[in-house]
Amino acid sequence: MMEGRGYRRTGFILALVWFFLSIFPLYFVLVTAFKPPLAVSQGPTYLPFVDFQPTLQAFRDAFAGLRGDFWGPIVSSVLVSVTATALAVLLGAMAAYALVRFEFRIRLLSGVIFAIISIGGFLLLNGLWGLRVPYSMAIVLVLALVVSVLANRLPLPGPVMKNDDVTFWFVSQRIFPPIVSAFALYLLYTEVNKLGLRLTDSFPGLVLAYTAFGLPFAVWLMRDFLATLPVEVEEAALVDNIGRFRIFFGIVLPMARPGLIATSMIVLAFIWNEFLFALLLTSGKWQTLPILLAGQNSSRGDEWWAISVAALFSIAPMIVVATILGRMMRSGLLTGSIK
Amino acid sequence: MRSSAAKRDGIKHAFLWPAFLVVLLISLFPLIYALTVSFQTMRIVPPTPPRFVGVQNYAEILQSGRFWGSMWTTTVITVLSVVLEYVLGFALALALHHNVPGSSLYRVTFLLPMFLAPVGVALIARMIFHPYLGPVNDLMRALGLGNVPFLTEPNLAMAVLIIVEVWQWTPFVTLLMLAGLQSLPAEVFEAARVDNVPAWRRFWDITFPMLLPISVAVVFIRLIEGFKVIDTVFVLTGGGPGTATETLTLFAYNEGFKKFNIGMTSALSFTFLIVVIVFGTVYLALAQRLTRRYA
Repeated sequence: MMEGRGYRRTGFILALVWFFLSIFPLYFVLVTAFKPPLAVSQGPTYLPFVDFQPTLQAFRDAFAGLRGDFWGPIVSSVLVSVTATALAVLLGAMAAYALVRFEFRIRLLSGVIFAIISIGGFLLLNGLWGLRVPYSMAIVLVLALVVSVLANRLPLPGPVMKNDDVTFWFVSQRIFPPIVSAFALYLLYTEVNKLGLRLTDSFPGLVLAYTAFGLPFAVWLMRDFLATLPVEVEEAALVDNIGRFRIFFGIVLPMARPGLIATSMIVLAFIWNEFLFALLLTSGKWQTLPILLAGQNSSRGDEWWAISVAALFSIAPMIVVATILGRMMRSGLLTGSIK
Repeated sequence: MRSSAAKRDGIKHAFLWPAFLVVLLISLFPLIYALTVSFQTMRIVPPTPPRFVGVQNYAEILQSGRFWGSMWTTTVITVLSVVLEYVLGFALALALHHNVPGSSLYRVTFLLPMFLAPVGVALIARMIFHPYLGPVNDLMRALGLGNVPFLTEPNLAMAVLIIVEVWQWTPFVTLLMLAGLQSLPAEVFEAARVDNVPAWRRFWDITFPMLLPISVAVVFIRLIEGFKVIDTVFVLTGGGPGTATETLTLFAYNEGFKKFNIGMTSALSFTFLIVVIVFGTVYLALAQRLTRRYA
């Protein structure tokens, strides 16, 4: 077993080195937030009280809004990410429940019909007749949906897609480069703005975008969690003639609490940190924390204490999230469902 | 009987449709409009009315050196960082799986980086790699290597971007590989140990092949995610020096929001989509052959 010990030692050293590499940048940003300007501009300092006298000045300046609005982005980040996470997890859990407990059959051909009607119809209405973009979209969407749902009932030839394909459809949204849908959404929002319904740089616009952004994760993760739940309790309730929605909210969701918490944490982290959608869809009032952070770079230059304070505000909630997930992982709650 | 079962089943639509509609409406439907825009010249500044130009935007992209440059940059950053992430992440997962001393402490700290905003991570990296005021150059000076201009020299800037990616996303590989390791049947390893199979062979003959499917999935997710990178580059180098570190997403963004060339950005994002689909399909085909050879 000598050689096994050699590997063990290598593993230990690797883990230790990685531990320090992971921790050091976080330590550095933490102490930098308490540095007076001189402790930054005269070369790196590391130890508070030894290398420099810590001060709360950077925090005071930030809260006083001395250099631009600081509370605004925090408030909008919290409001937007909490609302969008709640919506995404709720809708995602509902969809996942349907995918776990029921059977769906969707004919490929009706999907093709949907695509043809929506693209062709849009070209016709917007391109040829010059109807406004949002109106064309709405008409085409309703028309294409109705026709393809009806078409799905006919015995059309061609492959039939099942529940796994529907799940894949949701998850595949993540394969898309986000610039594709973010930019498309930006174009559409700008068009809707012209009709007087403001969607860019607005709360509903951002929440909608982030709900759609979080849904693929929510559906995917919740499906695995819900699949592990025993079906017997629900069957008993069905016999007693209790409605599906009451079963879902009264029995299924409470049983799936650990899964709900884990999924919410992961979706929240993704939305809280998201940059590209916020960059394209906001311009002032509803700017989120990542946009504030990205702006620090050019606006603050070497004022590292101020930059660090902003970075800490973005990091702190995520430390809580990682800790909760780490605990769940240790108790084996996540490892079983991650596969 | 059948009709009542069907009636009971009807409720399934009420569960699935809200999520389906949101994704359809927000993620997919706008693509139709963007697709039509990609065949037009359209500018916000100076405002020009849209004009249909066929595939001119796409032709221009394929002839632009900047596009191929950003394509190369994105590929280099993604491939190198994913290789490093996979090797390091797998090694760390093995170490944690065999309960090296202090592994319970590491689990949370290992998770942490991937939950941080990439923009924030990039800001921290900017401080750490600062040519005069940063700790890394402090270390370089102590070693007698002098100050290194990490962010202003093209190759070094690429290296820093790769380091930041690896720092942030190795935990993701560790997490999933650890889950994979914990799901392996213990009996196989017991038997191998009894037969005195050396640890190195145990890894290559048993652990690695058994974890191949999850490895393929993990690498796939990381490749796809890595290809989208913009936030770290946006903050860390802004694509510079020049356009040496400009990634595809950043290029598309610059085209649309600095030059206000909307038609071009649409065309770029669809080209990007095609690139991702081609790469993804090739990767999955190769991975399938690899898995089959081992199975």
